[in-house]
Amino acid sequence: MKHPEREVELNEYADGSITPEARRELERHLAECPACARDLERLRDLLRGASLLPRGIAPPRDRAGAIAAEIARRRVMRRRTAGVGLAAAAGVALFLTFGRNRAGAGWTVERVAGAPRIGSATLETGGRVAVGQWLETDDTSSALLDVGAIGQVDVRPGTRLQLVAARPDDHRLSLIRGTISAHVDAPPRIFSVETPAGTAVDLGCAYTLTVDSLGRGLIRVTGGYVEFDWLGRRSVVPMGAFALTRPRAGPGTPFVDDAPQPLRRALLAFDFGDGGAAAARAVLASARREDAITLWHLLPRVDGTLRRAVYERLARFDPPPAGVTEPGVLALDSAMSERWWKEIRRAEWRRVVLRGVQKK
Amino acid sequence: MAIAAGRAIPGVAFRAARAGVTDSVERARAGDEGAFAELYREHAGRVYALCLRLTGDRGAAEERMQDVFIRAWERLRTFRGESAFSSWLHRLAVNVVLAERRASLRRELRVLPAGEPERLERAGDAPREGAGVDLEGAIAALPAGARAVFVLHDVEGYAHEEIGNLLGIAAGTSKAQLFRARRLLRERLER
Repeated sequence: MKHPEREVELNEYADGSITPEARRELERHLAECPACARDLERLRDLLRGASLLPRGIAPPRDRAGAIAAEIARRRVMRRRTAGVGLAAAAGVALFLTFGRNRAGAGWTVERVAGAPRIGSATLETGGRVAVGQWLETDDTSSALLDVGAIGQVDVRPGTRLQLVAARPDDHRLSLIRGTISAHVDAPPRIFSVETPAGTAVDLGCAYTLTVDSLGRGLIRVTGGYVEFDWLGRRSVVPMGAFALTRPRAGPGTPFVDDAPQPLRRALLAFDFGDGGAAAARAVLASARREDAITLWHLLPRVDGTLRRAVYERLARFDPPPAGVTEPGVLALDSAMSERWWKEIRRAEWRRVVLRGVQKK
Repeated sequence: MAIAAGRAIPGVAFRAARAGVTDSVERARAGDEGAFAELYREHAGRVYALCLRLTGDRGAAEERMQDVFIRAWERLRTFRGESAFSSWLHRLAVNVVLAERRASLRRELRVLPAGEPERLERAGDAPREGAGVDLEGAIAALPAGARAVFVLHDVEGYAHEEIGNLLGIAAGTSKAQLFRARRLLRERLER
């Protein structure tokens, strides 16, 4: 720009917001200054370009299902909240009518150390957490919570959680912060833990889940599998693997416990930073055979060209089983994807178990 | 709930006669999720384009689009039909994206070490394919503040006073940001 002092006037002229006096003066200048006349023309080209941009751009993925699921989830949560309120009101009514309170559904809890609290009451030795109640441990206390009759949750110091559901088909906690270790022996999807970054759904497993004060989490699976979901974004974390979680982003791509540092850093940038395709390529560059579970999760998370590169690397490490084709995988055929996953997780399970045996 | 075309339904025809209330909107307001899905199909592209241009990031744009439709479902009863549904949804989308941007800035300010304020003005990624490739890419590469003002003013047609209200800045600041954005875009496009 030859005359930067004219920038405001040129813009106002192009917008039609310039005063009549300034307009006359600028037009005199434009007649004598080809550089400013050219600047004005380029500015108008830009504005024309902006006005011609498409009004709509097709979203890369159809989010209708995820939106419907979230709407349904919120409706259920509201009903639950209302239900807790109604249950409380009903409890008061029964107490007033019959002169005695009625114990609601809940789980038993034992004090392990310090002074855990259920609501505002300190837990002396043992007690019961009812649906809707909070269990909290401070820095020096811990507790052991029975998950109905299907397992136990070790509640570590500095943890705050709520019992959300205690039905035979739905054992559910909400972990706001802190650390729990869960051991569950039950059919899949009976026990789940809600966190600010999504829900950990038990698929028959043992795991440790930590949530910090910002809602960021880390899950480490020590037996079986855990599925972590957030609005349709899903990570299946097998034994011997970790996944980071973030509010508004959900679960990150799982990685095995001995994954190389460059791979972990690249995943962090890809999942929660601005890493994009470059970070995905860095993951590919540092991936080993042992990182097959990471590569499998990357397939639906990258676009066309990169997806092919991920496929080729993964196929080299763990060839797809019969009936699983490259076009099918690249088109994200869910049946093929699940078949390949079964092979990959079997191989990973053997690797982890074998490594455990060799260490002994 | 299925409504036969052309069938007179007491009350509905009268309410639907208001400017912005189409049959789909009316049914969605009554809790018909199928009608809301129709509205999603009709408006998703427009909302996504707005979210993409305001955020400069595909992943964030998808998330914001999802937030917009969830918020729209929750607030549909407050839609009075004084304007077109698309305008109402559009305004909601701007508010959702800007609210998240403010929240995100607050989060980053809490965790950023001193001396890294330029990260708060980082550029996003870009839609690289399709019509207007260069301009879309250049818009996505703008600093966040300049990008928001350019998109709202030059692409969406908002006035500086409205932009000032939405962004919590003076109209004069909006104007200065706009001229800066145009300069940066021209520099990038004329390279």
